[in-house]
Amino acid sequence: MQTFSEIAEIQPLASRIITNSIQKSRVSHAYLLQGERGTGKEAIALLIAKRVFCEQPDGVEPCNHCTNCKRILSGNHPDVHIIEPDGQSIKKEQIEYLQKEFTYSGVESSQKVYIVKNADTLTVNAANRILKFLEEPSKQTTAIMLTDNSQSIIPTVRSRCQVIDLQPLSSDRFQEQLLHAGMSQAHARLMSALTNNVEEALHWNEGEWFAEARKVMIQLIEIVTSKPNDVFLFIHHNWLTHFSERNQQEQGLDLLLLAFKDILYYHLDYKDAMVVFEEQDEKLKQAALTFSPEKLLSILQAILEAKQKLKQNIHPTLVMEQLTLHIQR
Amino acid sequence: MKFIVQRDKLIASVQDVMKAISARTAIPILTGMKIEAKKNGLLLTGSNSDISIESHIPVEEEGIVHIEQIEEGSIVLQARYFPEIVRKLPEKTVEVEADANLNVTIRSGKAEFNLNGQDADEYPQLPKLQTDESFELPIDLLKNLIKQTVFAVSTMETRPILTGVNLKLEDNKLSFTATDSHRLASREIPMDSTNVSFSSVVVPGKSLNELSKILDDSEETVEISVTNNQILFRTKHLNFLSRLLDGNYPETSRLIPDQSKTVIHIKTKELLNTIDRASLLAKEDRNNVVKLTTKSNQIVEITGNSPEVGRVVEEVNVDSIQGEELKISFSSKYMLDALKAIEYDEVKIDFTGAMRPFIIRPANNDPILQLILPVRTY
Repeated sequence: MQTFSEIAEIQPLASRIITNSIQKSRVSHAYLLQGERGTGKEAIALLIAKRVFCEQPDGVEPCNHCTNCKRILSGNHPDVHIIEPDGQSIKKEQIEYLQKEFTYSGVESSQKVYIVKNADTLTVNAANRILKFLEEPSKQTTAIMLTDNSQSIIPTVRSRCQVIDLQPLSSDRFQEQLLHAGMSQAHARLMSALTNNVEEALHWNEGEWFAEARKVMIQLIEIVTSKPNDVFLFIHHNWLTHFSERNQQEQGLDLLLLAFKDILYYHLDYKDAMVVFEEQDEKLKQAALTFSPEKLLSILQAILEAKQKLKQNIHPTLVMEQLTLHIQR
Repeated sequence: MKFIVQRDKLIASVQDVMKAISARTAIPILTGMKIEAKKNGLLLTGSNSDISIESHIPVEEEGIVHIEQIEEGSIVLQARYFPEIVRKLPEKTVEVEADANLNVTIRSGKAEFNLNGQDADEYPQLPKLQTDESFELPIDLLKNLIKQTVFAVSTMETRPILTGVNLKLEDNKLSFTATDSHRLASREIPMDSTNVSFSSVVVPGKSLNELSKILDDSEETVEISVTNNQILFRTKHLNFLSRLLDGNYPETSRLIPDQSKTVIHIKTKELLNTIDRASLLAKEDRNNVVKLTTKSNQIVEITGNSPEVGRVVEEVNVDSIQGEELKISFSSKYMLDALKAIEYDEVKIDFTGAMRPFIIRPANNDPILQLILPVRTY
């Protein structure tokens, strides 16, 4: 994504806010771009930086081929500072570097742009240090903070930035991208329900773990419908061994949620929306006979609650046992 | 790009430029060294974004040809490898050639190196120098100005503007001021032969330290010009650029008291040595405090005291004491720094009471000024 018009296709609102402020030369001193992974935060941040430094801007668009634009893309522009987490979080030294940078004049121009990636990983101390400079920006400084998780930005930082919300990618467009990358139609649909990051989806699609996970999940539904007595054994032997990590457990529940949603859609005859099952699947018909729509609603509720419990650090075995009890009841 | 250059010339230039290059930088291109070949010579550039050093090798100098077969162009080479290669090459001349794909070939005798270069367009563009907006200073004077002020800059980043030296050129007077809010050092020199003036630029203390290391005593004058973001110090072969500190330097002239209640004239060396001895028993975690007490008959007493360690008393003869009696405590470290900076044999110290800052000046009224805040003791 090299131009604002390209951004406008995915992020019409954000693109309009920013292009308008550029046109009226009212670029804010600090932006907070929040949106999920793959929504184009970095592309927008780099575009703003390029537009600020571009030698021959074409309206709101940077030219993308002057030395300034090229250097911003290659990370070599001396007045554009990009801070990304070093490991888990943004470290104190990185903020100290930034602080020093604030006190110096620019290298080539009096403009300065700094981009803080994953601003939610700033520790509270680090965030408070940055605060000083958000509060009293020196002339012609633009701060762009990027985050996936807007809730972890401390309110004092948030209140000093112009917040721009990026909307999640539409799943149709995302599916198109996945199909373009060579994924099958069925897989692309499932992936688009689980994530909106192309790389993550492709990574899952290639690995064995995800295929196995899908199999285990379908087996669970099968066992619940056909051999209810074996279900605890199955949970202990297959489910918990396969979904061992926290994020894997959450993903397992996501998959289960999608499957039960499909069964409900089958009842409602809303077959276009199904993502896990094919329309002609025997297992699906079997499951639809077993669960009434009312029952399905309460199961969906229970799965959401189970996810919540995992987040609250309740033991995963207990969570799964309780969930299966609820499904059986 | 292509040129053949005398190896010793290249080594000297590379060494100068390397002083600005650091291995850890935020911008990847700055780990490299820019080499620019032009009709009139070679220009090498190194930078860590705070300071940049450019070194120029002319085509010929006093009839001796340094560079031959120049084809214009520029390239950025890895500073980790290039200097070592140049140093260890076998012959007296070095041939450097870069092709359109940024491949660089370095030849000397039968040795041949192929290095991957980087695009010179990626390198930061240093501000163009404007010679009409510049003024000249003898190098030894500039070094002196730096030496007499730069020690007083703040080392703490809490007030970043104080980590620099404030330069001012107004009414044909050039002044250097540095303070860390506990002490202040300043010096003024007359500048008659210039019509340039600027009200206040703040140059980082670190940059000035580097500058005084790199300036060669054998050359005579340095040309200084100030742009919006950078200050340029220019000698015959060397351009030294430093970024400036952003912000307003505090108004320091009002801090300097214009009246005094007690004036002491004293030999610099004697006072320096006495305070140095007294500071032996002044503890570092308590600001190295020593105490000065005026006695009658042109004698002052210097004491250092740490209850856990011991006590030192020494009397010094002074040339004259005028005004009220005085007991004052101050940091021996600041006092030593200040006395060392004044390179005259006799100093005049103006006190305005035990709780007010005092000023140390050379006895002959040369405009060097050192101001120190006293320490409150009981």
